[in-house]
Amino acid sequence: MHRLYLIPTLAINVAIIFVPALLTVALAFFRWDGISAPVFVGLANFSALWTDRIFWTALTNNVIWTAIFLTVPIAMGLLAATMLLVARRGSTFFQVVYFLPVIIATAITARVWQGMIYSPVTGVNGLLQRFGLPTFDPLAGTSTALYGIATVDLWHWWGFLCVIFFAALRQVPQEQVDAARLDGANFWQTMRLVLLPAIRPTITLMMIMTVIWSFLVFDFVYILTQGGPAFSSEVLSTLAYRSAFYDLAVGKAAAVAVVISLFGLAATAFYIRAQAREFDR
Amino acid sequence: MKRRAFLTATLGLLAGTALVGLASAEDGKTVTWWYESANPEQQQHIKNLIIDVFNAAHPEFALNIDYRGSELDKQLRVALLSGSGPDVVYTAGPSYVAPMAQAGQLLPLDPYAEEYGWNERILPVFLEMGRYDGTLYALPKTYETLGLFYNKTLFDEHGWTPPTTIAELETIADAMLELGIVPFAAGNANWRPANEHYVSIVLNSIAGPENVYKALKGEIPWTAEPFAAAINKLNDWWQAGYFGPNYFSLTDEQAVAQLAVGKAGMMPTGTWQFQNVTRYFPENHSEAGFVGFPSADGIGDPIYALGVGSTFSIAATSEVPNGAAAAIDYVFTPEAYGALNSVWQGEWNMPLTDLSGVTVSEDVLPLYTEAMDTLADAVADNLYGYTTWTFLPPATNTYLVSGIEEVWLGRITTEDFLAKLDEMFKQELAENKVPAIPAR
Repeated sequence: MHRLYLIPTLAINVAIIFVPALLTVALAFFRWDGISAPVFVGLANFSALWTDRIFWTALTNNVIWTAIFLTVPIAMGLLAATMLLVARRGSTFFQVVYFLPVIIATAITARVWQGMIYSPVTGVNGLLQRFGLPTFDPLAGTSTALYGIATVDLWHWWGFLCVIFFAALRQVPQEQVDAARLDGANFWQTMRLVLLPAIRPTITLMMIMTVIWSFLVFDFVYILTQGGPAFSSEVLSTLAYRSAFYDLAVGKAAAVAVVISLFGLAATAFYIRAQAREFDR
Repeated sequence: MKRRAFLTATLGLLAGTALVGLASAEDGKTVTWWYESANPEQQQHIKNLIIDVFNAAHPEFALNIDYRGSELDKQLRVALLSGSGPDVVYTAGPSYVAPMAQAGQLLPLDPYAEEYGWNERILPVFLEMGRYDGTLYALPKTYETLGLFYNKTLFDEHGWTPPTTIAELETIADAMLELGIVPFAAGNANWRPANEHYVSIVLNSIAGPENVYKALKGEIPWTAEPFAAAINKLNDWWQAGYFGPNYFSLTDEQAVAQLAVGKAGMMPTGTWQFQNVTRYFPENHSEAGFVGFPSADGIGDPIYALGVGSTFSIAATSEVPNGAAAAIDYVFTPEAYGALNSVWQGEWNMPLTDLSGVTVSEDVLPLYTEAMDTLADAVADNLYGYTTWTFLPPATNTYLVSGIEEVWLGRITTEDFLAKLDEMFKQELAENKVPAIPAR
C-alpha cells in the first residue's frame, strides 16, 4: 500500500523526464528540421558528429571546463570553508558575502563582467588600458575565451561550494578535532587526516555533480561569446542549441544531447557505486 | 479562515483566467501578433501608430501585440508546431518561411493579395521572396541594404572624399591607420552574426551579384574563383587591421559612437543603423554621410545588397485570418509608412511601390530618405545584390557567421571555408531549404 505514495512523483518523472529523454534519444536517429515530418537516418547523425571537428572542439572544451571546475572552485571552497571554521568570528558575514554571487541571475552576472570588467571601452579593462597597461579582453581571443568565461562562472560558483563544505565541516565531531590536536597534529595534518576524510562523501558528491554540470554548461558561454570567436569557446550544449534552433538540425542536436547524457550517466553510475561501497562499510 | 480565503482567491483567479481565455477564444475578434523586442519608447510608437489606429478603424477586430524578445523565432516554431501560435506570424526572414510553408503551418495569402491589391502595392521582387512553390505565404515587413557610413566632418577635415572604388577605399583606410583612426567602426559583441554583413558586402561588391545569384540557384559552386577573391579581400582587410583591435568586444552601438567621435572613420553596415546615427552624431557635433559600398572593377555602380529583416504571414490555425490580413494590410498603407518612419527610421521600410502618398516628418534625417530613395531606384534598376541572412538557407548561414571568424583568426583557409560552405549549401539545396530567389 505504501508504494502508492510513489505514484505522484513517478508520474511527474515519467511525464517530464522519461518521455522527453526517450524522445530525444529517438530523435538522434532522425533528420528533422523541427517543423516537417522526421526522416529516419540511422546512425548518420552520430557519424556526422564523429567527422565534425567543431564537435571535437566542443567536447575538448567540456573536458577542460570539467578539469577546471573539479579543481579550482573545490580547492577555493575547501580552503575558505576551513578558514571559516578556524576563525569563527564573522563567519556568517563571510558566508553571506561568498554566497551572494550564487543568487545573482547568471544573465546579470555575465553582462556585468562583459560590460563592466572585460570591455575595453566601458570596463575596468578599458580603464587600465587608458593608464597604459597592456591588458586585453579575454573573451576576444581564441586561446583565452574559454578561460575568460570560466573565470566568470568560478566567481559565481565557488561560494556555493564553500558554504556546502563549511556546513559539512561543522558536522565533524569536535572530539575528533580535539583528539588530533592533543596528539600534536598541526593545521594541515588535522585537515588531511581528520577533516577531509570526515567530509569525503560531501566532496565526492560535489565532484560528481561538477562533472554533470560541466557537461551541461550553457548560460555563461552563450551569453558571453555564443561559442566564439571562431568556435574557440564552443561547448556541447551551445553546439546542440545552435544545431536545433539555428541550423534547424534537431536530429543532430539530439545526438549531441545524447553524448552529453552519456557523460552525465557515467558520472552518476560512478556516484551510485561509490555510495554503495560507502554503505557496505 | 485564512486558508479558506486563500483557496477562494486562488479558485477565483483560476476561474477568471479561464473565462478570459474562453472570452478571447470565442469573441472571434482578437488578432494576436507576437513582435520581437522593442524598447518602451518603441512599444509606445507601436501602440499609438499601429494598435490604436487599427482598432479605431476596425471595431470588428481587436489587435493585440505581444513582445516576445529576441528568441521570438524559436517560440514561434514551438507554438506553431503545437497549433497554438499567434494569428499574425512574424518571422525573422524569408529563410524561416520556407520550412513553415512546407509543413502547412501558414495560410496562402494569394486571396488576400487579390482582395487588398498587394500585388500592385508591393514591389514585385519582395512578393517573389514570400512565395513557396508558387504560392504567396509571406510579405516582407521591412527591407534594408548595406552601405558605407562615414564621418563627414572627419573626411572634410582631412580632405578625403567618399571612396568610389575599392582602391580608393583602401587608400583612405591606410591613411586612417597611419593616423591611429580605426578605418571600419565594427563590433559583434552583442550580435555575432554582424560578421555576415561584411561577407555580404564583399560577395556582392567584389564577386558581384550575378555570381551570387548563380551560386544561390546552384549553377556555380561557392568555391568558384570570384568568391575566393572576395573572401581573400575581406581577410586582407581584417589582417591589415581595418576592423580595429576590439571587434569582438564592441557592440554595434559602441561602434557607431566611435564613428561619431572620430575614433573610427567609416562603417560598412546596414541602413538600420540610421537609428543610432541620429542618436550619436548630433551630440558629438559631427555630421554623418552614407554612400553605396564601392564595387570592384567590372562590377559597376555600387551594389545594394537587399535584405529582408522580417516577414508577415498568417497562421493556418488562425481563427481570425481576415483580421490578421487586415492588420497586415494596415502596415502596408502609406499612412502607416509615413507615421512609423517619422519616429522610427530603418525598421519600418515597407517595400511599397508608390511612396508619393507618404508624408514623413521634417525632423527625419534627409540622409535617411535619400538612402531609401537610392535603394528603391537600385531595386527598380535591378542593381541589387543579396544579403546572406535573407537568401542563404539556415545551416549554411550559421556556418558562415562563425566560419569567417575562423578565416580571420587563421584557423582555416579561405578554400576550407568556402568548401564547407558549399557542402552545406548543396545539402540544404537538395532538401529544398533555400528561400525563393527573385529572378534578375
